[in-house]
Amino acid sequence: MIKLINSSKIYDKNVIALDNVNIEFKEGELIVLKGVSGSGKSTILSLIAGLIKPTSGEVIVGEKKISKIADHFVSSFRQKNIGFIFQKYNLINSLSVSENILLPLVPLNLSKVELQSRLENVLKLFSIQDKKDSLVKNLSGGEQQRTAIARANINSPKIILADEPTANLDEKLSLEFINIIKELKSQNRTIIIATHDPLFFELDFVDRLIEVKNGQIVS
Amino acid sequence: MTLTPEILTIYILDLLFLFFATIAFILSLQIIKSWNFDANSKLQYSLEKKSYLGSTIIRYMFYIKLPLFLFFIFTLDKISFVLPGAMCGAGVVNANEYATVLLFLKLVNLYLFAYWIVLDKQDMLDELQKHLKQKFTIFIALFTLLISEIVLEYIMFSSIDVKDVVDCCGAIFSTNDNTYLSKALSLSPSLLLSLFYLNFSLLVVSAIFSMRYIFSLLNLLFIFISLLSLVAFFGTYIYELPTHHCPFCFLQQEYSYVGYFLYGVLFVGTFNGLVVGFVVFSKEEVLKRYRVSILFNLIYLIVVTLYPILFFMRNGVWL
Repeated sequence: MIKLINSSKIYDKNVIALDNVNIEFKEGELIVLKGVSGSGKSTILSLIAGLIKPTSGEVIVGEKKISKIADHFVSSFRQKNIGFIFQKYNLINSLSVSENILLPLVPLNLSKVELQSRLENVLKLFSIQDKKDSLVKNLSGGEQQRTAIARANINSPKIILADEPTANLDEKLSLEFINIIKELKSQNRTIIIATHDPLFFELDFVDRLIEVKNGQIVS
Repeated sequence: MTLTPEILTIYILDLLFLFFATIAFILSLQIIKSWNFDANSKLQYSLEKKSYLGSTIIRYMFYIKLPLFLFFIFTLDKISFVLPGAMCGAGVVNANEYATVLLFLKLVNLYLFAYWIVLDKQDMLDELQKHLKQKFTIFIALFTLLISEIVLEYIMFSSIDVKDVVDCCGAIFSTNDNTYLSKALSLSPSLLLSLFYLNFSLLVVSAIFSMRYIFSLLNLLFIFISLLSLVAFFGTYIYELPTHHCPFCFLQQEYSYVGYFLYGVLFVGTFNGLVVGFVVFSKEEVLKRYRVSILFNLIYLIVVTLYPILFFMRNGVWL
């Protein structure tokens, strides 16, 4: 269960990104947040991931009041429970696909065997085994995105957040991404996608479509 | 006014401490006044950010202050070369009425600053930050002590006149006067040594039986007994002179700077022992503190004990 209670976010220069938002996401739901750029979708995702704190209000993820705890606790919580797929993927170009995917596991000090096992699983799941040693900068957009999704899934998180995941993809690759999301939903993950891509608006496996406008939930 | 590169360094650092401590002081006041962890208001979120900033400033300030104590001692020793009559830092401390108070204040602050760092660490380990208000309230008191230290330091150094002749440590720590210090230094070695080894034995026993308050109290006692036995008895074997009772001379090169080692080890040992009585730790952490305290106090005990033993083995007599 994820809850935003009376949450507001005001950035510098008095830019109101979220205005007293109340919203609840149930476990296992696939939710699409739609709205134009600057409507507040990404801010909702960032609040849930604990990347930012609200200016006022409360954010609860599972049993954790994520908006109230210090950053080092949030990082640890995020590492175990949340996978974030960024619009620009946020991969490190000078590292290989495998190295990028394994990055979130570095602080956990897992054994080589465990690392290898987890890596093989996600490489297979997202069909990028053949690219595992390639540098990220040499990959196509679709491959980079699959790498980003694999990285977000390396900890098998219960919650997956995706911010404009298809913004840099053509239609074919976007459909490929949607198939991956369908597969993740079947594993009972809670998935929240912020997008203005119409491809997501008519998917039959989406549980709820929520419109965000001027920092408020419209429908 | 004496102004050496070392004193100038201390003045510049004091100014920086003053600046950052004032910021932390203002933040502390705001936090103490309005902190309410359960609130989800704009003010509370702003205070949470400020508390992080405040803690970081104080933490780093104290991290620098702790080793700076050694630099202060080093400076006292260094300027003794320009004071007529002084042979070591003791002469400088005795040059005016402020230095002894300053030295005592610095020692107290050393333990209190280290205590604050431990409290801050505990607070950071707790999601609900239960110690937060307490640590900032304590900082308000520490801020007063820090300012007193800085002011006293300025007055002390600025009132040293290189034309005045001062006493050397041999005269200051003489056993022939009728002062309390002189009487303390004249205590019988067997009594001092009995107290010293008994105190350490009780430390070990109280740690074995996890008596944290007693362990803490015994560590406080160990500071005084160790220092007294060092100056009155063990020091004479470091100097190999039965009449020399100076707590500063063994900070010098000719004694391999052993004083820094002894004081450092004693501080780590006694601080870790003291703190278990003042902070609520997890079982594992208390155990770790007991071990560190016993280990460092033991190292201190072994090193000071070795001096008379080695002297006896070399010369066949006691001093």
